Amino acid sequence: MQQSWLLIVSSFCFGLLIAVTSAALSPRIRQNEINKRNRMVTVLLPEAKDFILLDEQVEIQSLQGKKEKVEIYKVMSKADECVGWSFEAAGSGFADKIKLVIALDKNFEKIAGFDVLSSNETPGFGDQIKYDYFRDQFEGAPAGELRLITVGERETKDSEIVAISGATISSEAVVEIVSNSVTQIKEQMRKKGIIGNDKQ
Amino acid sequence: MTNSNAKTARYWQTLLAGLWRENPVFRLLLGMCPTLAVTAAVKPALTMGCCVIFVLLCSNIIVSLMRNLLKPHLRILMFTLTIATFVTIADLFLKAFVPRMSEMLGPYVPLIIVNCIIICRAEVCASKNGLAVSIIDALGMGVGFTLTLCVLASIREILSTGALFEIQIIRLSSQGGWFVPWAAMSMPVGAFITLGLILGLVNKVAGRKA
Repeated sequence: MQQSWLLIVSSFCFGLLIAVTSAALSPRIRQNEINKRNRMVTVLLPEAKDFILLDEQVEIQSLQGKKEKVEIYKVMSKADECVGWSFEAAGSGFADKIKLVIALDKNFEKIAGFDVLSSNETPGFGDQIKYDYFRDQFEGAPAGELRLITVGERETKDSEIVAISGATISSEAVVEIVSNSVTQIKEQMRKKGIIGNDKQ
Repeated sequence: MTNSNAKTARYWQTLLAGLWRENPVFRLLLGMCPTLAVTAAVKPALTMGCCVIFVLLCSNIIVSLMRNLLKPHLRILMFTLTIATFVTIADLFLKAFVPRMSEMLGPYVPLIIVNCIIICRAEVCASKNGLAVSIIDALGMGVGFTLTLCVLASIREILSTGALFEIQIIRLSSQGGWFVPWAAMSMPVGAFITLGLILGLVNKVAGRKA
């Protein structure tokens, strides 16, 4: 038991050091995350100015069957009008979890697009999910079930998404995450009467 | 006078050892994990290098200060505790001030805790030497490691994207130039090949001298 006081004292000092640093930096770290997401949504919904967290609880079942709470943001324009919605969704990719931020138009009819918050797909292949040519296909696609196809036109805005060649699993993962979260959230928002019920 | 001269000579020797004679990557083959993992581009490599310098410096200072209190059975435990503390702090700073780099480096920043260079320097140098030598040793080894990472990263970044520091210096064939980027160089394959070739070269040069 010799010198165990050294261990106890230094653990305490080091712990304190970490705690102080963490306390000092955590607001900044949180702000960085929020800024990043807002920056991405602003690209997808150019009129976005303000983001309001929705009070209603929305829960979705992930592809692995787990229930997860989703924070939905109402995106407001400069004139204080709702221009769309945004939320985060995640699922497993080829190598690691893929975390997306998804934006929709104000009626929840069309997808405004998505961006990748974090992913670890194969460089040169799977990480092309971040590239415009793939992401642009979601822009204007109907907010509902999406389907992955291997051959087709990328230019047409429909529910068919053309996969990245050499990265079918990564493409499939993105399509499933978007499709799964959008359909479930849309249904619940309709039930709660947050969005219109007319176009069913 | 001769005493102080001998001291200065020793400091220089310690500093230069890390840069070439005992270069952590090329000569000691330590810290291979970050060497292979973060050298796809120069910016993350440089960030990683700076983190390692910071952690190495802090841990060498602390270990050197408490070297007389250390008992053999507590030695490794205390080293790890010290290193882990400073790595956590470095990680928090990266997340707060350079979030993009922190994202790119991902798990490799926390993994500095198990980087053998740092624990090796604590064991070999800081736990046996005074504060001055430990600080100089940390700087020499840290800078040596950083330079090595940057050399590897420059080669890989140029071959895989035609850019350096994310500034395009060779026109790609897709933009009307002649250079076809090698996607493989940004993947682990590229890391192994580049490291292997450079190690061979370094051995040849060092062997000729000896």
